Amino acid sequence: MSTALITAGPQNSIGLRSIAGRIGLLPALLVLLVAGMSAVDPQFYGIINILNILRNASLLAIVASGQALVIVAGGFDLSVGAVVALASVVTAKTMATTAAAFPGNTALIIASGVAAGLGCGIVVGLVNGFCVAKLKVSGFVVTLGTMSATAGVGLMITNGIPVYGMPDIFVKGFGRAQAFGLPTAVHVALIVILVMVFAQRRTLFGRYVYAIGGNVDAAVVSGVSIQRHIVGTYVVSSVLAALVGILLTAQVGSGQASFGGDRMMLQSIAAAVIGGVSLRGGVGRVEIVAISALFLTILGNALNLLHVDSRLQPVFLGVIMVAAVALDELSRRRNARV
Amino acid sequence: MSDLELSVMAGDTDRAKPLLGRWLWNAVLPAALVALLLGFAAFDHGVLSPANLLNIAQQTSYLALFAMAQTVVILTRGFDLALGPTVSMVSVGTALAMAGATATGHDTSLVLFAGLGAGFGLGIACGLFNGVVIALLGVNPFVATLGSYNIAIGIATTLSSGRPVQGVPKLFSQIFYGGSIFGVPAAIAITVAIGIALHLVLSRTVFGRSLYIIGTNPRAAAVAGLPVKRILVATYVLCSALAALGAIMMTARTGSGEPNLGGALSLQAIAGAVVGGTSLAGGRGGVGTAVLGALFITILSNGMNLTRIDGYVQMVVLGAIVIVGVLLDRLRMERSQ
Repeated sequence: MSTALITAGPQNSIGLRSIAGRIGLLPALLVLLVAGMSAVDPQFYGIINILNILRNASLLAIVASGQALVIVAGGFDLSVGAVVALASVVTAKTMATTAAAFPGNTALIIASGVAAGLGCGIVVGLVNGFCVAKLKVSGFVVTLGTMSATAGVGLMITNGIPVYGMPDIFVKGFGRAQAFGLPTAVHVALIVILVMVFAQRRTLFGRYVYAIGGNVDAAVVSGVSIQRHIVGTYVVSSVLAALVGILLTAQVGSGQASFGGDRMMLQSIAAAVIGGVSLRGGVGRVEIVAISALFLTILGNALNLLHVDSRLQPVFLGVIMVAAVALDELSRRRNARV
Repeated sequence: MSDLELSVMAGDTDRAKPLLGRWLWNAVLPAALVALLLGFAAFDHGVLSPANLLNIAQQTSYLALFAMAQTVVILTRGFDLALGPTVSMVSVGTALAMAGATATGHDTSLVLFAGLGAGFGLGIACGLFNGVVIALLGVNPFVATLGSYNIAIGIATTLSSGRPVQGVPKLFSQIFYGGSIFGVPAAIAITVAIGIALHLVLSRTVFGRSLYIIGTNPRAAAVAGLPVKRILVATYVLCSALAALGAIMMTARTGSGEPNLGGALSLQAIAGAVVGGTSLAGGRGGVGTAVLGALFITILSNGMNLTRIDGYVQMVVLGAIVIVGVLLDRLRMERSQ
């Protein structure tokens, strides 16, 4: 393969371009950004800043990898931000209630809280999946509806007031803890990404999701159970969002209905799209999406360190998003013409 | 009138069905509207008072305008997620231009002209950006307008420093909010006039009809020789211009330029259009669906406010309504095919 590239002159550039196309422009941009920022501001590579970036990027990457799965299957999940909020509130509330009923039984308290939080994710995911797969309502509309409903339930439970009363060990021993010098969220994100990469490449579920997103009719003819797999993608997306809600709760030390929200939802879609997930479905890899989440987080951090007005920062995100997708589209067109 | 509207929005597909069945399905949403009003009236007699009905009409006129804007692009299988931020940006731009013109001592008519020019200019610029990125660069409408969503928010908050912009002349508010034509408040009059004009454009002009063709089958539209790209750019400009008009009306209402005016408007406008029966798959919908959907959502939230239903519960109800509305619409389409 590589010898062929070296010997054949004209094919060389095509080979390089296809390699660049496969890995994408993103890692190069990431390296450029990191190198540039390190040169400009030594604060950037301070250990505190790096840990901060990694923690935020991990949370975004977890949500974005679920979002990516839904988009690969040809859908959308606008409800992820609201699920983060609901899971946070429910986890904290359940822990506080269990702690009142069984004081001192820390294991039970934590288990019930985490189960309740993840349960919220499963329920919202099932509702989304059911409406999309069985009732055939467009994913955009369904998750627009469940976004409003989920956010409403979260606010109803708390009246907008943070929920306290979680065991100390959950906050200090899990949320704010570090293992091997890295925050818990980073480890969780690495595990999630590894599992998702494995699922995408090696499991029938992952392959079928590509098949469904690529060509639904072909998938039906091949005997893929479309409905079950679509429900599956929405459940995975919601559960991962709920997981982020739990991680945020543990880190901050209270359950808040203001976590996640529209910002998290829009960022997760931006991360997926910049990471090369096609909104037409059928294309997209979780590991690139994770790099894209890291890129977006570092970009935000860099703009902060460079003292760019925080009000102006969304403009950069918007321009980069449109430019990334436009470049992708243009290069695809050129390839199609060749 | 409404029958005509409804047959337009239902499209050609259900011509063949028995009249009664079609009529029944088409009557679901209007009937639900009446039931909703009567239901709320049973709890609170104030709901049906002339003052509240006028209030509902006035509130609806803003959302209806935005739902119409959204409908125009949804017809072509598009979206405008940036509609809300566009509204914020136009509001801030209009107020800043008028405040600036007043400060430099220009006379009132010039001040109003500057405000309107800045507002529509910003709106049209936003629409051009969306249209060019979507039609010429081939970027998915969701991503393109998500990008301009961020850009418009950034511009709106930067221009205003995140604070309301004061200095909107009284006359501006008097014309676009306090004014009335034959006793009809300005907001309602403007929306009705725009609604009629847009309906004529969509149903009687080549441009309007080609939106339906592009939405139903883009490839066929291109093969048939329609300048699809140019039409799409024009569509997004039209959408943003309508949003700019709504933003100017809302700025007149608040009396200041508000960087948060758009807030959740993008999604509300999509919900309004979709609940009314506009199809996200493109090619189906119109002024009638936009107005019906906007009326439905406004009456629902007005009634829930008057019957003192908790604001958080209202969010849950609205979410459920959006899904049920679209589900009903899908069932109606299946029946008619």
